[in-house]
Amino acid sequence: MKKKSFIVILILSTVSSCGDALLIDPSDQYSANTFWTEPEHFEAGLTGSYNSLYSLYNVFSGETDMITPNAKAYNEANGTDGIAKGSALATTGLFSNLWNNAYEGIGRCNTVLDQLENSPLSAEETGLIEGQALFLRSLLYHYLIDHFGAVPLVLETPDPALHGDLPRSDKEEIISQLLVDLDRAVVLLPDRYTGDDVGKATSGAALALKSRILLFEKRWDEAAAVAKEVIDLNVYELFDDYRGIWYLENENNEEVIFDIQYQVPFFTHGFDHTSKLLNRPAPLKDLVDAYLMVDGKSTKTSDLFDADHPYENRDPRLHQSIAIAGYPYNGRLTTPDDVVTTGFGNKKQTVYKDDVAIANVVANNSELNIILIRYAEVLLNYAEALNEAEGPVDEVYWAINEIRKRPSVAMPVLEARMGQDQMRETIRLERRIELALEGRYYSDIRRWKTAEIVNNGPIFNAADEVIEQRTFNAGRDYLWAVPPNQIDLNPNLEQNPNW
Amino acid sequence: MINYDFSLLGKTKIPIDGIRQLFRIMKLTSLLLVIAALHVSAVTRSQTLSLAVKNRPLSDVFQQIKDQTDFVVVYNERFVNPDTRVSISVEHAPLTKLLETLLRPLSLGYHITEHTIVITALPEEQKSTRLAEQEAASQRTVTGRVTDEMGNPLDGVTVAVKDVGLATTTDVQGNYRISVSGDGAVLVFTIIGFESHEQTLGTKNVVNVVLKASISDLDEVVVVGYGTQKKINLTGSVSTMSSEDIENRPITNATQALQGMTGLYVNQAGGQPGKDGAVLRIRGQGTFNNNNPLVLVDGVEFPLADVNPNDIESITVLKDAASASIYGNRAANGVILVTTKSGVAGDTRINYNNYIGLQAPTYLPKTVKDPVRFMELRNQAGFNAGRAQAFYSEEVIEEYRKGTDPYIYPHNDWIDIMFNDALIQEHNLRISGGSDKLGFSVSAGYLDQKGVLMGTDGGRFAVRSGLNYQYKNWLKLETDLSFNQRTSHEPATTAGTMMEMVFKAQGFHPTYLEDGRYADTWIRSPGHNVYRHPLVWANEGFFNTKRLNGMLNFSAEVTLPFGITYLAKVGFSKLSTFEERFVPDIYMYQVKTLAEQRVDYYTPNKNRHVYNNHAEGLNTTLYNTLNYEATFADSHHIKALLGSSFEQFEDRFFNSLIEGFLGNTLTEINAGSVNPQVNGTSNKNALIGTFGRLNYDYSDKYLFEVNFRYDGSSRFAEGNQWGFFPSVSLGWRLDQENFLKTQRWISALKIRGSYGVLGNQGIPNFSYVNLVEAGREYLFGGAVSPGVAVESFRDPNITWETTTMANLGVDASFFESRLDLTLDLYNKRTDDILRPVTLPSQVGNLGGPIRNIGSVKNVGLDVNLVHRNTIGKLNYAVNLGLNYNVNKVTDLNGEIIYSGDKFITREGYPIDSYYVLESAGLFQTTEEIESSPFQNITTKPGYIRYLDQNQDNVINSNDRIVTGSVLPDYTYSFGLDLNYGQFSLGAFFQGVKGVNTYPEAIIATPFWFATSVTERWANESWTPERPDAPLPILTSFEDSQNDNFLKSDFWVLDASYLRLKNIQLGYTLPQRFSDKIGLNRCLFFVNGQNLLTFSDMKDFDPERNVKQANYYEYPSIKMYTVGINVTF
Repeated sequence: MKKKSFIVILILSTVSSCGDALLIDPSDQYSANTFWTEPEHFEAGLTGSYNSLYSLYNVFSGETDMITPNAKAYNEANGTDGIAKGSALATTGLFSNLWNNAYEGIGRCNTVLDQLENSPLSAEETGLIEGQALFLRSLLYHYLIDHFGAVPLVLETPDPALHGDLPRSDKEEIISQLLVDLDRAVVLLPDRYTGDDVGKATSGAALALKSRILLFEKRWDEAAAVAKEVIDLNVYELFDDYRGIWYLENENNEEVIFDIQYQVPFFTHGFDHTSKLLNRPAPLKDLVDAYLMVDGKSTKTSDLFDADHPYENRDPRLHQSIAIAGYPYNGRLTTPDDVVTTGFGNKKQTVYKDDVAIANVVANNSELNIILIRYAEVLLNYAEALNEAEGPVDEVYWAINEIRKRPSVAMPVLEARMGQDQMRETIRLERRIELALEGRYYSDIRRWKTAEIVNNGPIFNAADEVIEQRTFNAGRDYLWAVPPNQIDLNPNLEQNPNW
Repeated sequence: MINYDFSLLGKTKIPIDGIRQLFRIMKLTSLLLVIAALHVSAVTRSQTLSLAVKNRPLSDVFQQIKDQTDFVVVYNERFVNPDTRVSISVEHAPLTKLLETLLRPLSLGYHITEHTIVITALPEEQKSTRLAEQEAASQRTVTGRVTDEMGNPLDGVTVAVKDVGLATTTDVQGNYRISVSGDGAVLVFTIIGFESHEQTLGTKNVVNVVLKASISDLDEVVVVGYGTQKKINLTGSVSTMSSEDIENRPITNATQALQGMTGLYVNQAGGQPGKDGAVLRIRGQGTFNNNNPLVLVDGVEFPLADVNPNDIESITVLKDAASASIYGNRAANGVILVTTKSGVAGDTRINYNNYIGLQAPTYLPKTVKDPVRFMELRNQAGFNAGRAQAFYSEEVIEEYRKGTDPYIYPHNDWIDIMFNDALIQEHNLRISGGSDKLGFSVSAGYLDQKGVLMGTDGGRFAVRSGLNYQYKNWLKLETDLSFNQRTSHEPATTAGTMMEMVFKAQGFHPTYLEDGRYADTWIRSPGHNVYRHPLVWANEGFFNTKRLNGMLNFSAEVTLPFGITYLAKVGFSKLSTFEERFVPDIYMYQVKTLAEQRVDYYTPNKNRHVYNNHAEGLNTTLYNTLNYEATFADSHHIKALLGSSFEQFEDRFFNSLIEGFLGNTLTEINAGSVNPQVNGTSNKNALIGTFGRLNYDYSDKYLFEVNFRYDGSSRFAEGNQWGFFPSVSLGWRLDQENFLKTQRWISALKIRGSYGVLGNQGIPNFSYVNLVEAGREYLFGGAVSPGVAVESFRDPNITWETTTMANLGVDASFFESRLDLTLDLYNKRTDDILRPVTLPSQVGNLGGPIRNIGSVKNVGLDVNLVHRNTIGKLNYAVNLGLNYNVNKVTDLNGEIIYSGDKFITREGYPIDSYYVLESAGLFQTTEEIESSPFQNITTKPGYIRYLDQNQDNVINSNDRIVTGSVLPDYTYSFGLDLNYGQFSLGAFFQGVKGVNTYPEAIIATPFWFATSVTERWANESWTPERPDAPLPILTSFEDSQNDNFLKSDFWVLDASYLRLKNIQLGYTLPQRFSDKIGLNRCLFFVNGQNLLTFSDMKDFDPERNVKQANYYEYPSIKMYTVGINVTF
């Protein structure tokens, strides 16, 4: 009997000692209540905000050029084909991709900004983090309003009770908020970084973004003034080798104002693979035809144009941007099989060079930084804003000629004495060519309200054959649809017209 | 008092003289005591026992007597052979009567002292008196043989002379010998499991008897939570299955064994070796979270997939709240109790069984194989959708048509190349036996399964050992040790992606160059530009998974005074998974230019690399129970159980990846050198519970049971961790009432009802606390900077999901158990359902909190009908099981849940109903399109016409309707078992009705990113000449996803099916042959699995994960196997 009792007591005591076992804390994640104490927590929170930029690859890269007369999708990927054809549904993946991921980054920035109020960091360190967070938040709002128009403006740590049912704010209110934020960022941020900090937002980036926002708002005077501020920083200059801007060895060169940093194996994208092997984006004949002849005249007016050799004597940026059958790329001559969709291929933002053959970069293994803002864009902003504000003054000529004079481009300077309208067309063409296949043109044709003309009707391949009909519904397509599931979740959100 | 602990004495060497002397003393004493005992027994031995054993060692019976009473049985092995096989069946018999019945035929007597029953040899004088009596009365000896209907000898059959009290038992050969007097004597043959038989003797001296199997299973004892219960006295709703039900079936994963159990939906999608576990659902879907039932193996939570099916003795499924609530917070989805085979006292038995067979896919889509036709059809599909440009130029097609070089212009049938009949074999060996003290069961199993898809195979190796030891009379120790290794081998990209590439490989995609190198295609196929060579994927590189799961259980059962037993159990299970992936550098060469191209692997890392992942779990289970059982005044039976348990689950993983290998030969992490990456974490959760049960019955007539569990879980915040889960059930056995006892046609009739509460805690750990996630890095200055982010919003107040279930059931048996019926009606309501709430993205794109929200109701009916009969030598049983379930969301606080791009959960509809446009046939003409509400600018004749539900003259997402369900209305099964002589035939069908699926993506829609097109699409799609076609005009998904392939009910397909899951023909060697080769039993069988399927689904197996849009999952397989099962 004693033995029995002993065993029972032994086992019972083993069981009863487990009382506290239900109190278990997470071991690989930080609890939000106890975080935000150490200086590195704030750095890490800011880094987490930058991290959101990776999910916006589709909007930041050259993919959106496939919704313009610049290029076409090889096959349907994320909705660009449908948007270009005018058959897209409100549920198109690209729309929700931007909406969701921009707000993700905005939320992260807001959390960091709020937590900074109790930061143990020095005022200077706090300011650096604050400036970058304000820049990132402004950048994301800029992409939102560019595509959706006004959106709900959230400036605090995300809270479903406070922000879940916010309607779309007034667009002016958002713009003025962005301008205030960017002004503060300019004050807080340095104009350059070295070493471990390269890649962070600078005051120049904040100014350049501000100039772009003002330009998009047609606030010409201010846009020109801010662009001039960037120019006057004397931090940035055009990189001599136009094609080399996107060589791996030239990353973070003096022309780059803000880019998204990639590196194998940590963070990669797929632009090399899609461009070279999938022929996406596939440049259209319309873009190729837009490149001038080396004499600065169009293919229609220049004597240099030879229909039998249509790609000779063209603006050097043509062959630096576009792969054409019979011309070198990646160490050999491009064949029609390489460019099946339209007869043209994209070279921009890829690591391949014309004279060196390297193994194909496999899918999703690209590490070239995606440049969001570079100095040439600021010069173009400046020229366009100034021409609109004051007409074709000398400074306008100067800005465009700077771009044309780039050693690897070396196009003739502009002919003098253009009218404002002629200058406008010149600037727009220069902008299209200089920034082709970089994801900028889709915004430009919408803000110029030319999309309904240039992206309506047939598109052509190199052989001048119609390959597709495009439709642009002017009553609808200047803005994207608010993702319908967002309206389901927040009925206060108003849908854009005709979606 | 004299120490009669002879069994112990018998083990020691004692001089033979000493024994004899002792023997004499004992006889004398026994005589005295027996007389005394006979006098006192009537007054003091009111305790009654119920016992049913069949052909078991005497020691077993003694053990059961000991278990049911608090008496210790002692005997001397010199004259009591504990291995003597006996059979006895009594119900609530007084102890004395039982002992009389048991011991008389063995010429043994007994006496009872305080807590001790002493078994004695009958005193010589008594024995001789008996013999004298017998001899005086008898005039002859009758002999004979007792067999079952198949002619197998039955040993242990009690043969008694009616009204005389003389009895004997048959031996192993079924032979008996008994002395009888007179011609009018009647012999009664009885044994458990067979109908008793009375035979009037006449003048015959040899009487051979064939006993019919008794067909009632109501005597069965079933495993219930923390104990056992007689099936006849169950008040809850349970389904049971025993090892015989799955014997010889080629079950490659134990989850498949449950198919056919009533009230259980077992859906096995795909038959990939090593990864072919089935999805189990009990009584519908009650939650948005984990709907998997709790699986306990020998009382310890353990993955069913990691049990060797051959080790399973029985499975009990606890379906209603009454039977499951003792498992409290994990019981809401039902509980599956698996009991493994254990050692029993008796002769050592060796069982070996095996099978070997061939597997083939059940369904593979019939695709257009001819490369030229494929190219033309795809071009046509593009033009149909408004493309101006061909996918494949006329020149290419023309060149191909004329081409003769088989290397440049191949006509490959990739389905034929990649799918092949595959071998399967399984071997199992079990040795079991024991003495009265020690029982053991040792088994080993081996399964080797090749895959029907090239580059896939799998296997299982399992060993298990169970020991039980009776120490003294009060302590029983048991240990179980099992070890199970499951392996699977598949391409580096996993089999699923491999399937995709098989369907993306067209007739023009080459295999090898003439010199044997891998060949690359010269044809660009938009959507599949980069040829991912299926043969390379199958042959080069790998993804291997090895699961090593072990379990160690130890339990001690202590017999305490007053009918109380104490049981403590400790179980450890260690679940470890090791995965390794190797992506090699393999090159292929373009057939025309010989240009070299590295083969792209579709894994997260494209470069040559090795990835290892170690994941392991250590689960600790500790529980102890006190059991009490007593009978008062002969008719009040009480059983009580009280227990507590503690369970802890620790999981961790560590994985690493490295590049920089110098070739394709070494595949270890250390052989790599560049870009090392590591990941790892661990976590823990725990459960603590106190539980109890009280059973009471009055005369086996009125049954009553209450259960409770008080449970705490670490998955909730302090203050919300504890929940109480009670249940109550009642039963009334009408057959025990006098007014029904006279109705011969009713063998048993019981009505029962239960009501109770269950919980579900199946949500991720730490769902109650806001977390800052690490690992949200960014690159600065070319180096990775650590980053964090808040990614979800949490609700600290969450607590259990609560499931309330009412059950009303009938168990009935008619016509001498020829017809059994079990009927259950249930109403299961889950409240406070935990589900993630989706937040608008403007709230930082945060994952929504998991909150207690809403209610779901499952109302249904379980029917099980069995008919058994014997006609001459034919012995058959037919059974039918049916579950009808209606799932309905009753309350969501006015919210609507949208999931994916076509599912909705809203009040009044089943969980995850389809939410799609309503279609109304196909447009025939442009005029029709123009006169209809605006569809899309690209809509063309032959496209699907959608209905404008809100009458705004435009088709958009506001026109969607709720339709179709992913949850079946009916699941049913029926089976047939035939025995005729030495032959047996078993067939088992399973069916599902009222369930929908939605085909999308690879192979389901034509030309999905250059995938093959089915013959059906090629031949049965709309053209102006085929206006009544069942399919719309041929377009590819990419070109027409915004018009022709909008989510609509056109594609909500009926996935109902009826399938012959298994058919088995067996032949048992007649005993006289098997005896000659020293076998107890020898069975040969042939088995077919998934041989027939009836369904409206074309090209794809209907037994699938209906919610999965990808139709290219690993195919289900059919199997033909042959095997033997021998016992010796």
